[in-house]
Amino acid sequence: MQAIIGPNGSGKTTLLNALSGASHADAGSIRIGGNEIFRLKPHRIARLGLARTFQTIRIFDNLSVIENVKVAAGCNMPTSLFNIIASNARQRQSEAAIDRNSREALEIVGLAGRANDHATQLPYAQQRLLEIARALASKPNVLLLDEPAAGMNMTESMTLLNTIARLKSSGITILLVEHNVRLVMGISDRVTVLDFGKKIAEGAPSEVQRNLLVIEAYLGRRHRHA
Amino acid sequence: MGQLVVNGLALGSIYALVALGLLLIFNTVQIVNFAQGQLLMLGAFIGISCAVTHELPVAAAWAITMVAMALVGIVFMVLVYFPLRGRPAFLVILTTIAMGIVLENLALIVWGPLPVSLPSPIHGPPLRFAGVVVSMHQIFIFVTLAVILLLQFFFLTKTRFGILMQATAQDLHTARLVGIPVNRTIAVAFAFGAVLSGIAGLLVAPIFLAEPTMGGSLGLKGFVVSVIGGFGNLPGAVIGGLFLGLIETFGARYISSNFRDAYAFVVMIAVLVAWPRGLFGEKSSEKV
Amino acid sequence: MRKALRWKAWPIIALSAAVALAVPVIAHDGYVIQLLNIAILNAIVVIGLNFATGWAGQINFGQAAFYGLGAYTTAIATKAGLPWIVTPFLSVIVVVVASLILGLPTMRLRTYYLAMTTIGFGEIIRLMIVHWEPVTGGTSGLRAIPGISIFGIGPQGQIQHYYLLIATLGLAVLIALRVRNSVLGRAMIATKDSEIAAEQSGVDTTRTKLLAFMIGAIYAGLAGCLYASSIRFISPDSFSGTQAILLMTMLIIGGMGSIAGCVVGAVALTILPEALRFLGQWYLVLYGLGVVAVIVLAPGGLASLASQVQPRRARLR
Repeated sequence: MQAIIGPNGSGKTTLLNALSGASHADAGSIRIGGNEIFRLKPHRIARLGLARTFQTIRIFDNLSVIENVKVAAGCNMPTSLFNIIASNARQRQSEAAIDRNSREALEIVGLAGRANDHATQLPYAQQRLLEIARALASKPNVLLLDEPAAGMNMTESMTLLNTIARLKSSGITILLVEHNVRLVMGISDRVTVLDFGKKIAEGAPSEVQRNLLVIEAYLGRRHRHA
Repeated sequence: MGQLVVNGLALGSIYALVALGLLLIFNTVQIVNFAQGQLLMLGAFIGISCAVTHELPVAAAWAITMVAMALVGIVFMVLVYFPLRGRPAFLVILTTIAMGIVLENLALIVWGPLPVSLPSPIHGPPLRFAGVVVSMHQIFIFVTLAVILLLQFFFLTKTRFGILMQATAQDLHTARLVGIPVNRTIAVAFAFGAVLSGIAGLLVAPIFLAEPTMGGSLGLKGFVVSVIGGFGNLPGAVIGGLFLGLIETFGARYISSNFRDAYAFVVMIAVLVAWPRGLFGEKSSEKV
Repeated sequence: MRKALRWKAWPIIALSAAVALAVPVIAHDGYVIQLLNIAILNAIVVIGLNFATGWAGQINFGQAAFYGLGAYTTAIATKAGLPWIVTPFLSVIVVVVASLILGLPTMRLRTYYLAMTTIGFGEIIRLMIVHWEPVTGGTSGLRAIPGISIFGIGPQGQIQHYYLLIATLGLAVLIALRVRNSVLGRAMIATKDSEIAAEQSGVDTTRTKLLAFMIGAIYAGLAGCLYASSIRFISPDSFSGTQAILLMTMLIIGGMGSIAGCVVGAVALTILPEALRFLGQWYLVLYGLGVVAVIVLAPGGLASLASQVQPRRARLR
């Protein structure tokens, strides 16, 4: 699990946007497992195994909880229009598989009990969990989490981070962007620190914590952000 | 051919006026008013009521029409803008279309379906030079457009209230926080926008007769012009308007007059496909 | 399975079906039945509109044009002597081509641009129909269109057409439900709710929007085919810009995104102008004000009001 931390405006979300294809990157190269994904459209990147959550919640308001998750679960299961209209065996098998994967994802984040509720009925913290479940449903190799604990209280954050820590064991590479340094230090393997769009430190959490540049970036500012 | 140019430019000036009214409202409150054409029609008929039915002098008819349209603009704002603040654009579009339907059918009830004419405020023999005939009314159209552009420019950039309007247009929320009387600026935008269309109506009626269903196609041409010039871009709208006027006039003459109305759409689609931000670029861009 | 149909919905569906089937027994007036037939056809068109606009969020004022293309293709083909069975296929081909021509360049456009482009498209089609007089009959339209006939058998009289159309509507609803509960349906709604999140979840939003658009066009084209063959008279007025707006308001009043709402909205707004004929020109004034009122007060349409009354009722969304 790799964490990316840095003060506000250091470019953390921009980095995630560039990785996931949401923003246009000018130059460089991004690879997942040897596959070049630079400048690919976001949905292609997603199908290659990269999933993400967003800083501001972007769940699908007009779908139920489980349907939200199913959107991602179905991403690598193309169904032809013919199958859909005919509602044949193949279609039903496909839907059953999507249903299974989605429920599994909901189990992991603890939302299985609210599968049929309208997504908007969930309280804020659970909507965040829903986003994570949705990201998991596509069975990604890489998971980008953009400030998943934002707006949560201490208890909720702890539950969330425990969930994320458990995900590590399932073999997914996790890139965690967080503003709150303390939350992150305990569960990350490596930490990268950004400031004003540049990498200023990288290494194990204990090293980074003692890095002077990092301390200065967080505490030593007298000037305003750009 | 020079005649076609003159006619095209005159027609285009009217389209430009419709677009200006449309953009004034859009720049301020981000609403595309699909009833702008019906406002034009209303202006024409109010003018006709004054000048023809009640036989007032044409100048008085113009004055009364402009005041009446300003009031209509404000009523429009109350009915459409306030209840729909924050709603998705799609619903606002439908609402303005519905208002257009209301206005059109009220006009049919009040004034009947038959086309009526309106005399021009200017009289006199047409100018002739280089084989081209320019009527007094056409000159009046050009002059009116120029005057309006100058007045608008002066008002928006040199007067205090105009600058406040620009601020509101750029960022309504912050403008309100800063203490700008935002509702007043919005009201002025709607009033002015309606007046501009009303003037366009008063200018159109002497050329083409006025009838209650005229609003639809003229309103659409106003949007097309806005798109061509780049939505939100006022100078672009003027140039776009003149451009469309020319294309329509030439197209009707050399290609086919049956598809006169279609040229506008073809041009618009062509522009949108090639330059998604219009020929001169949009004023505001949304975050993806 | 069909998550949208919880068991409590069955009594209501059964009741609606019973009422629908009983109508011709109660109302003998051929004029009323024909009006209902038009209402059913409109309902199919609106269900089609729902794919692109209600679910995928793409405003579409071109639906009436697709309706007209289907109708005119069928009318011209049958009057030219082609067997009726060919016409649905022809209509679909014409409509698919048209929807691709309109859809491909416009899927990226923003709301008001899309509105204007689809209006423009509708106008161009209408002008083409009006001015191609030798083939389309111009503004007078086409009369005496041959009816549905497969191997010499076809419905006779308004009542038989009614039952055929009810069955077709049922099929249209069934397919719409299947799409809704599939990867495609969820992708459409996700695209509308948050295009960015949908993309990041693996949804090809451009392709989804285009598909929604095309399916909707096919619905309209087939409805047009049936319109020409059942009503037996068509004119450009039935497929004009005004009609496009009317279709949109049917969708809104019924409740965007709700299949049942489409049917209710279509039936209501087809019957209302006839029932309120005594109002004359005032009907349209009230109609416009009514639309404004619904948008302001109940933007979810009748469907949202219904779901407030019976919160456990399955929403056919």
